[in-house]
Order: sequence, then C-alpha cells, then structure tokens
Amino acid sequence: MSVSLSAKQVVKRYGGVVALADGNLEVEAGEVLALLGANGSGKSTLSKIITGVVAPNEGQLHLDGKLVSFSSPNDARKVGITAVYQELSLIPDMTVMENIWLTHEPRTLWRVNKAAMRRGTRDLLALFDGTISAGLTPDALVKDLPPDERQIVEICKALSHQPRLVILDEATASLDSQQVQRLYELVQDWKARGMAIVFVSHRMEEIRLFADRATVLRNGRSVGTRDLANTTDSELVEMMIEGAAQLGERTRAPLPDDAPVRLKVSALRGARLRNISFEAHDGELLGIGGLHGQGQSELLLALFGAIPFSGSVVLSGKSVHFRHPRQAMACDVAFVPGDRATEGLLLSRSILENLHLPSWAKFGTPLKMDRARADAQRSVEELQLVAESLDALASSLSGGNAQKVVIGKWLLRSPKLLLLNDPTKGVDVGAKGEFYQLLDKLRQSGAAIILYSSDDDELIGLCDRVLVFHDGRLTAELAGDQVTRANLVTASMGAHPAAQPQ
Amino acid sequence: MTLLRRLAQMNPALLALLLAVVLFFAGGLINPNFVNVNQAINIVRLAAFLGIIAAGQTLVIISGGEGIDLSVGGVVTLAAILVFRFSGGDTLGLIPAGALALAAGTLIGVINGLGVIAVGIPPLVMTLGMTGVIQGTILVVTQGQLIGSTPPIMAQLISQPLILGIPGVVILWLALGGLMWLLLERTTYGKQLFAVGVNRTTARLSGVRVPRVVITTYALSGFLSALAGVMLLGFTQTVFLNLGGAYLFPSIAAVVVGGTVLAGGKGSYWGTMSGALVLTLIDSLLRAAGIEQAYQSIILGGILLALLSIYGRQHRLRQ
Repeated sequence: MSVSLSAKQVVKRYGGVVALADGNLEVEAGEVLALLGANGSGKSTLSKIITGVVAPNEGQLHLDGKLVSFSSPNDARKVGITAVYQELSLIPDMTVMENIWLTHEPRTLWRVNKAAMRRGTRDLLALFDGTISAGLTPDALVKDLPPDERQIVEICKALSHQPRLVILDEATASLDSQQVQRLYELVQDWKARGMAIVFVSHRMEEIRLFADRATVLRNGRSVGTRDLANTTDSELVEMMIEGAAQLGERTRAPLPDDAPVRLKVSALRGARLRNISFEAHDGELLGIGGLHGQGQSELLLALFGAIPFSGSVVLSGKSVHFRHPRQAMACDVAFVPGDRATEGLLLSRSILENLHLPSWAKFGTPLKMDRARADAQRSVEELQLVAESLDALASSLSGGNAQKVVIGKWLLRSPKLLLLNDPTKGVDVGAKGEFYQLLDKLRQSGAAIILYSSDDDELIGLCDRVLVFHDGRLTAELAGDQVTRANLVTASMGAHPAAQPQ
Repeated sequence: MTLLRRLAQMNPALLALLLAVVLFFAGGLINPNFVNVNQAINIVRLAAFLGIIAAGQTLVIISGGEGIDLSVGGVVTLAAILVFRFSGGDTLGLIPAGALALAAGTLIGVINGLGVIAVGIPPLVMTLGMTGVIQGTILVVTQGQLIGSTPPIMAQLISQPLILGIPGVVILWLALGGLMWLLLERTTYGKQLFAVGVNRTTARLSGVRVPRVVITTYALSGFLSALAGVMLLGFTQTVFLNLGGAYLFPSIAAVVVGGTVLAGGKGSYWGTMSGALVLTLIDSLLRAAGIEQAYQSIILGGILLALLSIYGRQHRLRQ
C-alpha cells in the first residue's frame, strides 16, 4: 500500500471572499505532513478540498500521479481519503457503533449485521485501551460521552473506512496527554504500513511530536515546506505570521505577599467536585491544570452560579452562594466559557449586541444606543478587534477575534474576579499573544484571575500558582519554581509531586 | 436568475413590503376599481387586526425553542366574548370589560409560558392544549348562549374614520408598530429576547434570566391577542364561537413572510406588518377576482404553502 497526494495551486472563493488563494501540498506514504498556519490562513479549506467536502474553484489534485476530482466526501473515501475533524461530525442521539459504521454498515444478506458491527467497533476501540473509560462501549450513546471520548469515536470512524490517507484536523485538541501519546503510537504504526497522514494542529509541541515535514500557509497561500528536524519554532512562527517573529518575553512582577484575598473556597462539592478548597488573591493569575474533564470546568461554572454546589465561598470578604450567573455578575464576577460557538457567542447577532449582552440594563429605557456604541467602539479598539463594523455578525469573525468578543463583553464590566475556561483553545499564535497581554493588564489593575488551560505551556508561562485537578479532587498546588512540566504531568496523573525530588 | 438571487439577498421585511405594493397594483389588472384610496384604507384596516394578533406571535417566534403560540385564535375569541357579554353595551361598561379581557389574555399567556419553560412542555403542545381549555372556558362563560352587545363607541373608535378619514384601528396599529420597534430594539427585554432566541446557554451565562424572558413573551402574546380580540369586536359588532380561529394560521404566515426566522433569534415587527398586508391583499385579490368561496380557501392555502417554502429556501441560502 503506497500512496501519494499532491495539491497544486488550489483556489477556493466564497462569494467575494478568497479562503484559499494558492494552496499547495505534497504528502507521501509513510510520512506525516503538518499543515501550519494562523486562523483563517486556509488550512481547513485546503483539508476540506482534499477530502471532497468542498469543491475548489481552480487548481489540481493528483492522487498517485493521476488527476482526480471529488464531488463529495464519499468520492474521496472510495479512493481511501478520510478526515478526522475537531468539529465533530457525530450524531449525538446514535450509539458509538452506529456512528462509526454510518453509511457502510456491515450487512448480512438482508439486514445490518449488528454482531459484526459491535465486533468491529470493539476492535477499533481496543486501539485506545487504557486511555478511555469503561463508559465508552459500542452501545453507548454519543451524547453521553465526554469530549475526549467523542473525539476518539471520530478517529475510529475515520479508521473504519480503512483509509490510505488520513487528515487529522485539530484532532488532538480535546484529547488528554495519554490519549495523545496513544494516537502518536498509532500514527507510527500507520506510517509503517504505508499510510500518509496530514496533521493540522495549533500546538507546536504536538506538531514536533507527530510530523516529519510542515507546510506553512499564510493568508490562503502556501509559503513553504520545511523539514521539521532542522527548523526552529521561531522560524516556523515567522513563516506563519508576517514580521512577528518574537513571541515576546513576558516580564512579570511577583505577587506581593500582602495581596488581599479576593476569593476563599472551602470544602466545595458538586456533581463532579470533591472537597475543593483554595484561595485566590487580587492581582493573581491562578492556573488550573490537569487532564481533560477532571472537574475544572465544573468548578468555574459553580463559582459563577451556573451549576449547583455545596460548600462555602467567600468573595471580597462576604460569604456568597450564587444560584444564577446574574448574582455572580452583580458581585463583579465574570466567566469566559470554553466553547465560543455554543456558550460564549450569539453567532447570528451583531458584535455590538454580543458585547453588551450582560450590560444592557445600564443603558436605561429606551436604551441609549449612542452611548452603547461609543462604549463598544472603545472596547473594540482596546481589544484590537478586526471586524468590518460593530454591526457585523459574530459568525463572520475568525476564531481569535470571536474570542476577543467573548472576553470583551466582560472587560466592559471591569470584573474583580475573572474565570476563564480554556480560553485559547483553537486560537492562533498571534491572537494568543495579544490575549496574554490583556490578561497581564487586568492582573495589574488588581483583578483576580482563575484560568483553566489544557495547554501546560500556558500554565507554566502565565500563572503565579497552579492548582492541579484529578478526578474532581485538587491533587497539587504548585507555586513559583514548582510550576514545571514534570510536576504538572505527575500531579495530573493523580500523584503527589511534592513527594518527588526536583 | 440574477434578479431572483438579488431578491433573495434583500432584507426579507423590505421584500414583503415590496410584494404588498406589487400585489396592490396587480389588483388593478383584475379589477380597475381595486386601486384607489378607499380600497387601500380598507385593506390596511383589515390587515391591522391580523397585524395586532401577529405582534404577539412575532415575539413568541423570536424567543426560539420551537416557540409558537397556537392559542392566539382562542384568546381573540374569548376577549371579544368577554367584552360582548360584560360591557352591557355602553361606553362605561367597556372599561372594566376591556380590562377583564386583557387580564384574561395575559393570564393565559403566563400559564403558556410557565408550561413551556417551567414544566418543559413543547410550545406547540402547550398552546394547542390551551386552545382547548379556552374553548371550554368560553362555554362556561356564555352557557352556550352568545348574549350581549357591543358598546357603540367601539365602532366609532375602531372601524369608522377617526382622523383624516383613517380608521382608529389603523392609527392604533401604527402606534403599536412604533411601540414594538421600541420594545425589540431599544429595551433590555428586546435585546435579551433575541439572545434567548439565538442561544439560551449563552444568554444564561451572560446573566439573562431565561425563564423570566420566556414567560414575559408568552404573556405579551396573550395580552396582544386579547387586545386584537377587543378591536375585532368593534369591527364585527357581534361574536361567534370561531371568531379568532381564522386568524391563527395567517398570524404565523405573516410573521414568516415578514422575515422572522421560525428557529428564533432573528426578526422584526415591521416585517410582520408587511407580511400582514401581503396576506390581506392576497385574500382581497381572490375576492375581487370573483372566485367561489371554497376555491378561494384552496388557492389561499396553496399560496401560503408556496410562500412559506420560498422563505424556507431563502433561510437556507443565508446560512
């Protein structure tokens, strides 16, 4: 089984917008090619063209040296090309096995062969043995699975087509580090068997782990392909972002010892939280780490009054128990949710309405729209938001800009306690840098910030202290020099890093 | 093709208004007497009743969550019957009877809202069930006998020319149009209503009390339907058990033709007003063409289906 695919000068336009101006890539059997680029650089469009999801306006695709064109994902699948997407293509109300075998169910003469389907599913899931919970069975409903296991089902679905070329489009974003490691082992096996893999990711660390070569896209054009072994991160970043080579050294003033306590949580319990106690100070950036789905999001939601909990919470010296986000907001608490599209934005409404959704009441009745616009305009400039106008729909924004709107609506309220649920997931490097500066500014203005991040580098680079979660418990509190990758990983597995020599 | 495409990209509310103007002048081709000022006023007067009922429907549909109010017809009938029965046929009696009708409509809306958001009954089922309850209530109130009378002042205020030859109901409708614009575009409730229609999780995580917004919306729908019922009595001068029923399907159609998206979160009342004009014009045109009653119903139903399918397609194009 050997395969080679090349895309040459592929162009895709949506109306007047050019999504891909000059897309080129070549990938061969036995290698992993990374597709790199900032949000909106055309990575997704190029991978969708290769898999037949979108038809290009111009350009050529060659498979094994022969010119091909796909009019549907099914066409591409027939010749052995499938993709695993970050935005999952699973049907929530169907079972794991029904999803995996959808449209190519094993059949007996006259009906679907459920036994074969179940067997096939078990074999596929066995690839991830040890990294998945007992709840992930062929007959489990997809809607009952956590995000990481849904992603694994998505990967199994692609594998069920026995592809020759697989595109992993941000397929690692929801996986924990063990699962990523397992996927890496699988990819090695695929390579050995002559498969070709295209790997799309924002995480440099994973790109280095998985890929042999990288093709970089910028503003819809392929700007070059490099061997990763002899190319540095900053060289790649420079290719991705014109003229923005340095990511910047963050200079951080140490937290004064007498910083007042903004938040004191004692013995907090909830559906997935067991006996959580900690403090957060004014001007402190408190990180929360650990594997995915260990209760980090639940803690933030509970503190914001969005889900029920028991235990004591003292905010600004007053004992509080929020039962609705509205009450938390009245005490200057803000929450930036993890999923922009489903929790953070009103996609089909304007930027203006998104920014002011929590704050309309302060503009009186009838609403003083001039003042609302002026406020929003100022915040847009402060955030360096790139948008056509305040009236542009939130759905027209790129990932980084959309996230700025989600954050901007809370900055407009000058929060004293800011809760962030993995805010940089799927945001490009440039926007991340701006976002970090924003956090720093807020910190300096005296706000307490609690940041859950699935990216260890972010926790190490940004936070004064890091709380590590495992299975709904706090397993470690790391401060200062203790915030190291080794300690984070150890604690996230549920062990005590303090017991380990540094 | 390009013209069609350009039309499809236009603001649907504007498109509906344009369609209304085109239909009006098309009426002249069928019957030259169709195009004159009196006829125009008459059509706007007829459209006003539908437009007022559809105001509540617009709010409910914008609120999303499969929101729809099938009890508007029942509320219209109930409100008209309450005024007819309890006003005693005089001006002074109109005030308590009118207040009773509006309160009854609002109460029905609140119960609809509670059923939908607190109990979790799908709006379609909740409001359809409510229609049955209302019909029963009407029988209890009337004991099966529709006795009563209409205060004469109502005819003067509503259907006869009030200012510059324009009937009161039209002036009231225009005023309602202004108020609805204010409500949707210039109040916190309006902004939160759209947010609830688009994404309830986002709305809640931004501090919106979603249940309160939904209950308020159904309550407003009940109130506005009751208001329409009182108005309609001033026009018909009498009541019958199915007075409002005929307005149910057109009230939904007017909202959709006016560009409000059935999935919620997007729409306007001036679009609905244009939609009400379009539907009333189609109805009047069919009458003017001298088509038999039964065939009129068949053709009107067909046109509504065609319009709704066109708007459904346009919605997909936009996504």
